[in-house]
Formats: sequence, structure tokens, C-alpha cells
Amino acid sequence: MRGHRSGRPLVPAYLATSGVARPSRNSLERLSVLTSAAGPVPGDLPAAQQALLQSLDGGSLTVVEAAALLRLPVSAVRVLAAALIDQGLVTARPPVPSAALPDHDLLKRVADGLRALKL
Amino acid sequence: MIEIPELAFGGLAAGTVSALALGGGLWRSRRERARLRQEMTGLRHQAERSARAGAEEADRVRRAFVAELEHLVTRRMPAEASRIAHPHVPVPGPAGPEGAATEPVLEALRTAILQERKRVDAAARAGMRGTTREIQASLYRLQDILHGLQQRYDDPELAQDLYTLDHENEQSLRRAQVAAVVCGAWVGLAREESHLVDAVTGGQARLAGYRRVKLHNHLEPGTALVSHAVEPVAIIAAELLDNALRHSSPDTSVVVNLEAVHNGVAVTVDDAGVGMAPDERAAAQRVVAGTDPIMFSDLGDPPRMGLAAIGQLTRQFDLSVDLSTPSPYGGVRAVLLVQKHLLSHIDPALRPAAASTSPSTRTGEVPRPEPWAEHAHAPAPGALPPEAEPDRASRSGATAEGSAHPGTRQPVPGPEPLASGPDQPVSDADRPAAASDQPVETGVDGLPRRRRRQVSPDQAAMIRPSAAKAASPARSPEEAAAALGALQSATAAAREAARSEGTAP
Repeated sequence: MRGHRSGRPLVPAYLATSGVARPSRNSLERLSVLTSAAGPVPGDLPAAQQALLQSLDGGSLTVVEAAALLRLPVSAVRVLAAALIDQGLVTARPPVPSAALPDHDLLKRVADGLRALKL
Repeated sequence: MIEIPELAFGGLAAGTVSALALGGGLWRSRRERARLRQEMTGLRHQAERSARAGAEEADRVRRAFVAELEHLVTRRMPAEASRIAHPHVPVPGPAGPEGAATEPVLEALRTAILQERKRVDAAARAGMRGTTREIQASLYRLQDILHGLQQRYDDPELAQDLYTLDHENEQSLRRAQVAAVVCGAWVGLAREESHLVDAVTGGQARLAGYRRVKLHNHLEPGTALVSHAVEPVAIIAAELLDNALRHSSPDTSVVVNLEAVHNGVAVTVDDAGVGMAPDERAAAQRVVAGTDPIMFSDLGDPPRMGLAAIGQLTRQFDLSVDLSTPSPYGGVRAVLLVQKHLLSHIDPALRPAAASTSPSTRTGEVPRPEPWAEHAHAPAPGALPPEAEPDRASRSGATAEGSAHPGTRQPVPGPEPLASGPDQPVSDADRPAAASDQPVETGVDGLPRRRRRQVSPDQAAMIRPSAAKAASPARSPEEAAAALGALQSATAAAREAARSEGTAP
């Protein structure tokens, strides 16, 4: 949908967060899922926070996905998301821990079993 | 016997007569001779007198001429030489009427000095150009590395250092680039067609005090610059903002407004600083107009490059910068006018402006980073069911409304507020639907492809007729004439520049 942009970005990443790279909370990981919370949006949000909020509008994205969408480094999106979470505009859910993911071998065996059933 | 005395008497008489005649003649001739002699003496005296006077006159002239030469060498020539660099130095006139002959000497001196000065200046600029060009290239390579690191590492502490390094690098890059431009080099970077707000924000990011800049974007979304104008506009914006930041107190903000005007787009930079005196303002206006060729030696020590670079760029790229009015905030108001032929249009739904740029205050806004297709095809965990779609439409309308009035912090009640804005030409309610209905070209691999400068009918209705004209491939006669005129003036300007380099005889 979006045109692939080639070449050097005109606007550097530090402008999105006014040069801040330390998020106000450390709970956000690359695969944390961000969801926009229903509620009134203040009109004077910084532009990048507004952009992140709009990208979450009506859905959820992981931090990494939002970063790719906004063409910003993950570190900048973390700062933006942390600020939005502080204002109650976005909720974050921790990523599914890898231990809770089903075992790879188990999935493979199930798939094999299904194929065997079909044949 | 009688004949003898008579004869004798006769002879005597004749003798007497002849003697008398001779005596008279003799006397007369003697008198004549005396007169002649007297006359000759008079003449000789006169000649002597005049000869003496002539010698005196010649001596006086010689002395006057020597004095004149001395005056020329000790006073007038040094004054003329320093007047080339300092136009206010008076050159004394000739000491006497004899000095009229020395004027051509002074004229030749002036020409020779100017030629030499141009030659030396051009040599200095060429050397500087080569150096800064190399520095610029290496800083771009450094920038690539830093951007790569920023993508790869997201540890907050490391990212903080990378941001700082990136910012420092941008500032060095700006200095090198400006020096190169002043020295007559190309801007050094080819960019693709970009949003105008991206270019101005990019310029803002190159400054130390970028946080003090408040940018208000009143342009239609998608207002863009043609590729060759992107970097010049970014440089000019950076330099104007740098001046504004430098000459205003650190606790004041610098206000930038992007507005559409009849002939294109105006970028207005206002600072609340000390302002400029009228003569300073006039001098700055002359420099940024770019009509006079830049002399490196005129820029001072250390050279003040900012305005000179703006002058170079306005001349080369047919931009115009105005510094002639004081700002209502008390400082300086700088207005950069980007003419229509340098403007273009980018579909903001396909290629939105950078996330950190101020969103447009115009209500005809296509929601910016809305990942319609991504949501539809690959729902993220916890994505809303499809019936949430109308809700999303109203929400994005609400955020557009919120951004239209950034100063007012009011909760937007529901899907209704769209009709409330007095300056809304198009209803917003169907905007997200229009955006999602846009035909998306996909390549053979199913991946989306970017469309260049194609405007859907919906958007054609939204954008101004001028922008629609710019986006259409067919040119009107006026545009063709403007393009050819621009080419012609650029050629003439380049020739003029070559002449001013001192290569002409």
C-alpha cells in the first residue's frame, strides 16, 4: 500500500522524540503489543505521538511493526509509546513469552498427523 | 671763354645737387639703420624675456607634474586599491588640472586589481570547494552508518548516544554543505520528490536549537517539492532558522508557518529576537537576493556563510527570500517563496510525510499512517473485528478535527463534529472511505507499487486547481513558457557567474 521510500531520510529519527531515547518506562519490548485506548485525544500532542496514535487507530501493532510503519527506529517508537501510555492513550500488552509458545516439535507432529489423516 | 665758367658753374651746381642728394640719402639711411637697430634691440629683449618666461613656465609644469605623480602614487593609487575592498574609502581627486591625464592610469589599476582579486577569490573558492565536498561525502557515509546502527540497536542508552551523534553529524554536514554552496558547488545530494514539510523539518533538524522551532503547517496534505528543489529548500530553511535561533533569546520560540499563496508556497520564519537595523536589513536583503557575485573575501573572518549560501541558492534555483519586513514579534521575518513550478503533489495516503512532521491544519486531510491493507490482510493479535470499521472512520475524523485546532484542547464528542468547522470545504465523513477506495497498483509479486504524481478524482476535487495542473503531465503554454524562461535565465546566470569568476578578459 505504501510506497517504498528510497534514499536518505530527510527528517532524522531524533526529531520524533526531541532527542530523547530513554523511554519513561522500561516495560516495552520489541514485540509488545500496543493498542490505542478509547478516549479523547488532546489536540496538542507532539506530531510523532499523534502519528503513532493514528497508526494504532482501530487496531493493534507491535512496537516493531509501528516502527516499520512510521519509518522510525524502534528506540524512538518506544519513547513515543511510553509517553502515550503515560497519558492513558495507549495500552501495552507484554509479548507472548517464548516459553508459553507451543513446542515446535509438537506442532510438527500435529501437522504430520493431520496429513496422515487426510491421506 | 664764356663756356668755361658756365660749364664750371654748371658742373658745380650739379655736383652740389648730387652732393645734397647723396647727403640726404645718407642721412636718411643712417636714420633708418638706427631705427632698425633700435627695433632689433627691442625684439631681442622681448625674445629674451619670453624665453626666460618660457623656461620658468616649463619648470613650473614639470614640478606640478612631478607633484601630481607623487600624489597619484602615494595617495590616489592606495586609496583606489583599498576602495575595491572597502567601497566607502574616498579616492582623492587630482591635485591640479595636470592630473586629468592620470585618470586612465587609475582606471587601468582598478581593472587590474579587480581581475586579480577575482582570480584569487576563485582559486580560494575552488580549493575550499574540493575540501568541503570531500568532507560532505564522508559525513554522508557516517550518517548512513549511524542510521544503520539506530535501526539495529535499540538499547536506550546506546540509542541516546546514537541520537546525539546523529545530531552532531547533521550539524557538521550543514556547515560543510553551506561552505560548499558558497564556494559555488552543487548542493551535493540528489533527493527524490518530497513533501515540503519534510524539507523544512529536515532543515530544522540540522540545528542545535531545533526544539525551539514551532512549525505550523497550513498546506494541503501532499504539497511537495520537485526533486531538485528539495535540498535547496532544506538548506535555506536551515539557514533562515539558524539566523532566527542565533539572534533570539533561548527562551523564545521561532515560529515557522507554511502557507499556500497565489504563486506557490510561502515559508515564513519569525523570531522574537533583537531584529535588524534598516541598513543591516538592506545589506542582508542584497546578499540573499543573490544578484551580486559572491566574493569569499567579503564574507568576513570567520566567513558568514549563511546568507551568502541563501543568495547562491535563490539565484540557482529560482527561489526568493525576503528579509525586508520586521517581524511582528520584534525580530526578523524571513519569507521564502517557493514558486509553483517547483511544487508538486505526492499522494499522502501512499507516501505520507515523515512521522515527526507537523500534520497539516487543513481539514481536507487523508489520515496519515493508516495501514489499511496491512490491517485487512494480516490482522495483528487483538485486532478489532470488521464491525469496528465505522468507529475507526469517526475516530480518524476526530483526530483530524483535533489537529485542525491545535490550541484548543477539547474532547470531541462523537462522529458529529465534522460539520462544525467553518473552513471545511469537503465533508470529512467519507474521507477514510475515499482513502481506502483508492486503486492500489500491485506488481506481479503482489507487492504494492508506488504511484508517481497520479491523483485520484477524489483528491483532484480536494486539492487546489493549481496543484492539479502541476500534477497533470500536459503543460499549458504559460507553464512551458515559464520552464523555458527558467532555463534561459539559468543559462544566462551561469554565464554571468563564469564571467565574474575572472576568466573573462
